[in-house]
Amino acid sequence: MKLNFLVTTVALLVAFPPPYECRAIEGSSNQPATDPDGERQSPPVLARLGEEYFIRLGNRNQNYLRSPADSFPETSQYSKRALQLQLTQRLLEGKVGNIGRLDGNYALRALDSVERERRSEEPPISLDLTFHLLREVLEMARAEQMAQQAHSNRKMMEIFGK
Amino acid sequence: MSGTSRAQLCFLLLSVTALRGHARFLDIQQDNEISPEGLLSLLSSELKRELPEEFVYRRALRCLDMVAVEGQFTFTAERPQLNCAVFFIGEPSDIISVEYDSVNIDCRGGDFIKVFDGWVMKGEKFPSTQDHPLPLYKRYSDYCDTGVTRPIVRSSQNVAMLFFRLHQSGSSFTVTFRKLINPFPCNVVSQTPEGSFTMIIPQQHRNCSFSIIYPVEIQIGELNLGQHNDLKRSILGCAGSGDFVELLGGNGMDTSKMYPMADLCYSFNGPAQMKVGCDNTVVRMVSSGKFINRVSFQYRLLGHQELQQMKGNSIEDVCLRA
Repeated sequence: MKLNFLVTTVALLVAFPPPYECRAIEGSSNQPATDPDGERQSPPVLARLGEEYFIRLGNRNQNYLRSPADSFPETSQYSKRALQLQLTQRLLEGKVGNIGRLDGNYALRALDSVERERRSEEPPISLDLTFHLLREVLEMARAEQMAQQAHSNRKMMEIFGK
Repeated sequence: MSGTSRAQLCFLLLSVTALRGHARFLDIQQDNEISPEGLLSLLSSELKRELPEEFVYRRALRCLDMVAVEGQFTFTAERPQLNCAVFFIGEPSDIISVEYDSVNIDCRGGDFIKVFDGWVMKGEKFPSTQDHPLPLYKRYSDYCDTGVTRPIVRSSQNVAMLFFRLHQSGSSFTVTFRKLINPFPCNVVSQTPEGSFTMIIPQQHRNCSFSIIYPVEIQIGELNLGQHNDLKRSILGCAGSGDFVELLGGNGMDTSKMYPMADLCYSFNGPAQMKVGCDNTVVRMVSSGKFINRVSFQYRLLGHQELQQMKGNSIEDVCLRA
């Protein structure tokens, strides 16, 4: 009797194994070549918007990129928070901006299958942003979130109030 | 069948069902009635969260933007916009879902819309390549390649980004941003400079980081690393340990390029605090997978005076620590 029970248990456990979560496999071999290709010294696309804000596409060329503090010595004037916020808002409205010259590698070209493969091997797109500016937009997003939460709370109160 | 054998069989079946660990719940609508859709949702593997049209939040997207609220966002190019990026952020226990609703761009003309699984700034990624389950090229999802067949892209953590370039004025696209629940958040960017969090890694061989993009004081309340308290191991340092927590500080997003401020490889109760005067402060847990590891901590923003004091006290500027 007990043997029967044991056999049934084993059979059922084999048929319905407890689910384990797949473990993330870590390994340096998985990492693709993220280092910039030495031959492709493509100058980055620069967009100066307000203070210390670049967008860069393509390789990270250390020699080309200067630190924001060096590039814009006038940033010391912008230490006041109100002015910084104003700049941020103007920046977000897109009123300030001089787009630098386009990198040749990213020129307009037809997207055939060869190009698609090459796109996946291209260096990752990145954004040059200071932490200061990132915090500014984060605070604006949080303010929007709280306003939206207040609005939906008000709506719910109206619905329940009826 | 005898009584005992029936009881044994019932117990066995109960145990096997419990082991499967699936859970379902019903959303009960008006009048406490269970709708047919509710019943059907028990059978589907994914519970849909659809809001009625009038409650969906909508607004226009900016070229540089951060979005923390669910809704529908539309970008219309009034002039060529060649370098735009939108950050998405949710609560620590959320993952991001970005769905393309309508896209009017010229892929062949060089336009693109890409979703990145994480945040990337100045070439540095969060989560770092070591801490993310996917290789780098898989973390970029290009609308022009896969957007039509796969219109929904999901992140692995509470942050994601959208990069886009539109050459022609009049081009536009609309995306719906949703937050989905993540029961065991691993990599997190904090939305606030103050708060608290408990990170749990349940027997998984992975590394998890909690990033605070402010200079903060961290107070670790409780650390539970597995079941063994190996004091001998702690004397030698955390280098050989498979399970430990490290406090990192740096001025970039990539945790692998940050400076270790402290590391802890034995369990303890009671607060241990540290001030980290860096732009980015990270609590990172390394887990071997043998144990269930847990760390609870609080953090608060360092004031300007505190930072000045730390600057005055410190000889070297590896960010600042106290």
